[in-house]
Amino acid sequence: MSKNHSKLDKYAPSDFRTRFRIAGLVILAAFSILVFRLWQLQILSGSDLRQRSENNRIRVHEIKPLRGLIIDSFRNILVDNHPSFDISIIPEEARNIKAVTESLKRLYADKNLSFSGNVDALCVKKPFAAVKLENDVMWDKVAIVETNLADLPGIVVDVIPVRKYMKGPLTAHVLGYVGEISTPELLKKSYNGYRSDDIVGKSGVEQRFDQYLKGKSGGEQIEVNVTGRKLKILNRMEAVPGSNVVLTIDSELQEACWEAFDKKAGSIIVMNPNDGSLVAMMSKPSFNPNLFNRGISAGDWEDLFTNELSPLQNRAVQGQYPPGSTFKLIIAAAALEEGLIKPGTSFFCNGTFRLGNHTYRCWKKSGHGEIGLHQAIVQSCDVYFYNLGAQIGIETLAEYARNFGLGKKTEIELTGERGGLVPSGQWKLKRFNEPWQKGETISFSIGQGFILITPLQLIRAYCAIANGGTLYTPRIIQRIESPSGEVIKEFGPIVDGTLPVSEKNLTLLKEALWGVVNEPRGTGKALLREERDVCGKTGTAQVIGLPEEGAEEDEEKIPYKFRDHALFVCFAPKEEPEIAIGVIVEHGGHGGSAAGPIARKVLDRYFELKKKRNSGEDLIQAHKKETSQNPI
Amino acid sequence: MKIDRRVVLNFEWVLPIFVLSICAIGLVNLYSAGHNLHNSIINPPYMKQIYWIMLGTGLMILAFSVDYHVFVRYGYLIYGFSILLLLAVFLYGHITNGSQRWLVVLGFSFQPSELVKLTMIIALTKFIDEHKAQDGYTLGSLLIPFCIVLIPSLLILKQPDLGTALFLMILFFSIVLFVGVRKQTLAVLAGTGIFLLPLLWIFMKDYQKERLLTFLNPELDPLGSGYHIIQSMIAVGSGGITGKGFLKGTQSQLKFLPEQQTDFVFSVFAEEWGFLGGMILIVLFIALILWGFRIGRRARDLPGLLIAYGASISIFWAMFINIGMVLGLLPVVGIPLPFLSYGGSSLVVLMISAGLMMNVSMRRFVLQS
Repeated sequence: MSKNHSKLDKYAPSDFRTRFRIAGLVILAAFSILVFRLWQLQILSGSDLRQRSENNRIRVHEIKPLRGLIIDSFRNILVDNHPSFDISIIPEEARNIKAVTESLKRLYADKNLSFSGNVDALCVKKPFAAVKLENDVMWDKVAIVETNLADLPGIVVDVIPVRKYMKGPLTAHVLGYVGEISTPELLKKSYNGYRSDDIVGKSGVEQRFDQYLKGKSGGEQIEVNVTGRKLKILNRMEAVPGSNVVLTIDSELQEACWEAFDKKAGSIIVMNPNDGSLVAMMSKPSFNPNLFNRGISAGDWEDLFTNELSPLQNRAVQGQYPPGSTFKLIIAAAALEEGLIKPGTSFFCNGTFRLGNHTYRCWKKSGHGEIGLHQAIVQSCDVYFYNLGAQIGIETLAEYARNFGLGKKTEIELTGERGGLVPSGQWKLKRFNEPWQKGETISFSIGQGFILITPLQLIRAYCAIANGGTLYTPRIIQRIESPSGEVIKEFGPIVDGTLPVSEKNLTLLKEALWGVVNEPRGTGKALLREERDVCGKTGTAQVIGLPEEGAEEDEEKIPYKFRDHALFVCFAPKEEPEIAIGVIVEHGGHGGSAAGPIARKVLDRYFELKKKRNSGEDLIQAHKKETSQNPI
Repeated sequence: MKIDRRVVLNFEWVLPIFVLSICAIGLVNLYSAGHNLHNSIINPPYMKQIYWIMLGTGLMILAFSVDYHVFVRYGYLIYGFSILLLLAVFLYGHITNGSQRWLVVLGFSFQPSELVKLTMIIALTKFIDEHKAQDGYTLGSLLIPFCIVLIPSLLILKQPDLGTALFLMILFFSIVLFVGVRKQTLAVLAGTGIFLLPLLWIFMKDYQKERLLTFLNPELDPLGSGYHIIQSMIAVGSGGITGKGFLKGTQSQLKFLPEQQTDFVFSVFAEEWGFLGGMILIVLFIALILWGFRIGRRARDLPGLLIAYGASISIFWAMFINIGMVLGLLPVVGIPLPFLSYGGSSLVVLMISAGLMMNVSMRRFVLQS
């Protein structure tokens, strides 16, 4: 072949020995590099990487529990869960997100639907993680997607249970609303054990009873392949649904309150005087709690936040007002108990009361003339109570007010309750660094001045008068039940204290309250029923001081925010009372004319419902009898 | 053709045993790698690979039967033929994954770039045998052999297949340096190499650049282009000392591995057989390569020596680059693992190379006719 091949020159194979040796060494060096790397990966970090391979294939998927239901005392469901559908896309499976969303849009267009998401704003971080396209879509869209899944690679429909508030704004303040847990909440000790995407109650019963309502998340260990497709379930722990909360609220009466209250702002509370349980509680204006379900939109939040009537506020426990004339009962009780007056003691009212060089006016300019305690309450004579207040003094009066449950929180199981204010000399010194003025006691004795009460405190005090002197802690929860109906926790009446008033004096006061409604000169005739069984008291709480002589009397011409608050409290029947109603109409004017008719409508509806329910029960009883007699 | 008695007496047993054991390991591994990948029971990859091994064995026999000097004599012709095939790829080639590498003949798809790896060695052998330089090669004398490697490299680069093009270059330098070059030439070559490196970057496609960057730091983009290399390292590492067991590699069975039947076949193996299995396989490879060196060292003449050395060093580089890539030591380039990766072209060419090495070994005592 080659001319030189027989001549052993420098290229004879034997001369390559050293080179082969060098090449062999190079190869052994490369070999040790590979072995070292293999050792490093498999032995040094073997267990670590094994863990990662496990994580690779096993996904833990949280199963959200269904939140407990909230049920009224007649077992109507007030809050339910309903499925909400989200449409998401998995980028890796879709490959071309634009193309897939375009075909989705075309499918929508065929059915005259429009795509609500924004494809350009999609933030794709991981190719295997689903990205939300559309939130909370309607059934028709879900149907389109489900039937065309084959043409929509990467599109998935997620089902999320969300709250449905059946009565919407009617029960918004009592029930509250839910939302994703916030970062400050997560840091709080009371939210120990919550996770960052948990849904929690944000106010009302939803917040206060969150630990019962939330339930327990379950989990699913699933084996997935590289595209994240579920291959098999390795382990599954079912979610434990939250417990149901049964309220003392009667939602039908709640509805009646909503309809009866035809004014701008205020609240109605209906309470059972015999155990302090709330039958209805309403605050206006209200809001739609369903708006918060999937995170409230910026626009809706803006509307709620900038509304000067603060719809989110539960006025029944958060509103603070001067009690006005409704406070006179407490002054009367103090005067009777302190032995200052006897039932027959009378004062002369000429329309004014002078203290030093200051004149305090009675609401009735012409005066009530010679007037006793009973008529003073019935006609709500201011001068009578100026006299009592001036003689008793602020410290004793304040103590009585506190014993009626005013000036401190009632500890109802609702969030955000406020305490009101019962002033005293000490308080004023601390607050304003000024001693108490005698004239301030005069204002105090007709429920004006510094004193502030919440509607709930007021109704509770009147319930105590109605039931013979027992002050109950208001309740809104009857019991907590497991989803299958077993009672987990029962809430009974809680006695908070006893009124420092003798039975005899209580009867006296009750008679006077009856007179307010049923006697010819009473201020609360709006509640005069055929049965003549309602006791009540009107109140008009001044927002600014009483107008000077000759000032504008025509209410319509006073600016809204300076108009008086109208109050009305009542209970019925007089003997063995079973219901108490408190109405406050903010800037509504006179208690008797503005708040009274509202209370009347609620009361009428209460008795109507009672009658209906009794006859309904009769019908059921009759039906049962019938069927048992005729077993076919 | 007349077969010399001494050829039969000196039959090379050791090399084919190494080759066939590695092929057997490859088959078992391929069975596992494709286990959950394909639904069709007819002709799964490991079955096809068996056919390829059978065909390869036949060609291997053919390769050691004919005196290797015949191959060297027609070296340029064979080389020219393989270049024609590469050109044909451009005209009739089949496109997969964005590159044109395949030639379909009679229903078989074939990758001419694999064949060039061997024909280039033969052509270089012929050139070196005919142009011996007493004191090593000068730059000028290396011009023609450089053209021999440059033509296929450029054609392959155009497909585009950067990995194989670079592989041919590495092969060329491995042979030329082995044969010997002058010191000044070496310095010039090293200098231009460093100068050309940035130029290479300009000619790289985006996906190639991305691969290179994520090689430097795969965690940079763990779910994007760094995904493959991380998954591969997880697979290998999770094998531990003894491995997860046959068919029990979760990374491969759940398809977390990319290209697990071809370029990343070693991670399937290392996951299921662990450090011990990996060691055995690498030791087998080293033994095969060193045995190839031994054949070269004992060869009768220069062409035999170069063929044995060239074939061995080619297997070495392919193994080192592939495993290095799977272990995250080298960037991801498409170099298959010899005898283990699924694919007929690579396997058949490797078997022919092995046949040629046997050829050299068996004819070490035969005088030229």
